[in-house]
Amino acid sequence: MSTELDAESLEAQLADLNRAIGELRDRDSLKTQFLSNIAHDLRTPLTAIITHAEILRDGLLGDMNQRQRESVSTIITGGRQLLDMIAEILLYAKGSSEPLTIDPSLFSLNEVIDQVNQLNQSLVARKELALDCYVPADLPLVHGDRDKVMHVLMNLLGNAFEFTPPGGKVWVTASADHDTCMVQIEVGDTGRGIAPDHHELIFREFAQVDASASRGHHGTGLGLTIARRYVELHGGRIWVESELGQGSRFFFTLPCDRIK
Amino acid sequence: MAAHVLVVEDSLLISSALRILLETNGYSVGVAGTAADAIEAAAASPPDVMLLDLTLPDGDGLSVLEELRAREATPGVTLAMTGHDDDITRARSLAAGCAAVLVKPVPVQELLRIISERSA
Repeated sequence: MSTELDAESLEAQLADLNRAIGELRDRDSLKTQFLSNIAHDLRTPLTAIITHAEILRDGLLGDMNQRQRESVSTIITGGRQLLDMIAEILLYAKGSSEPLTIDPSLFSLNEVIDQVNQLNQSLVARKELALDCYVPADLPLVHGDRDKVMHVLMNLLGNAFEFTPPGGKVWVTASADHDTCMVQIEVGDTGRGIAPDHHELIFREFAQVDASASRGHHGTGLGLTIARRYVELHGGRIWVESELGQGSRFFFTLPCDRIK
Repeated sequence: MAAHVLVVEDSLLISSALRILLETNGYSVGVAGTAADAIEAAAASPPDVMLLDLTLPDGDGLSVLEELRAREATPGVTLAMTGHDDDITRARSLAAGCAAVLVKPVPVQELLRIISERSA
């Protein structure tokens, strides 16, 4: 039996493969468009639901008793969680359909971390966690897109709060590498941890370590994918070091100003 | 006399919520669901405050403000409402003459405070 394939047959196979790849790309882009449209359309009724619930909660249509107020407040909290998830899907769809760009400036990472710390104070207290930030005062300025860096930090901290039981610790640290002119930021926690087999998977789109319908955590599975896109746009790297039951330490790097 | 607020919003679900909110707080409220209706309503009776959704079925919300300015019927204050919390939307709206850019859903107490401060 001949093992040689003639050039014509190879070319035909190549053309078939290229056609199949083209079709897959078209379908992928249709799915992304669908995701973007549906996310956008979900937001309108949700906005109305939240506004009506706030009108009721604040007694604008008459007084409510404590239990009624608590019940309506839960509608608002749930609605706002849904809005955050929709915003995440829209961000992902936008990043998939057009090239992402960064709006770079030189900014103080200490200020961003302070701001993130402030924004999370009430959540930290509610979840009975301790949040510590150790950032050297002389950390060089970061060269990057402030909003996107803030988004990455908020995402990593949000995950740390979600997966760390009450009484646990969450921390943010940063240090500069003089040789590479990069800063390294760590967001760590004493939470449930991630098995090494899943360290790559969690950064993949739509991936969740526990994908069952009965899983305890319900999210879009896009947060870390977006975080990785944002970090890589800066020429940085993001990774995790963790063992099950041993907490997690997420790291990412960003370019910084020359170290004086 | 109660300040008059024109809500320009194509979703009836949202405009009806805003109408209840504002009317129970003593404002007189008009609603327009398209840019054309908004221009007609505001030109006939310029509102003290216009809550302007930036995405309307017949065009960009900011075009309403431009047209009203051309007709010398600029509302007292225009507050843009958008689902897109991004720098470009913010900059465009402020450059077009909006006093503030609010991201939907605006918490009701925040909305009431802003309208009360701006219409005082």
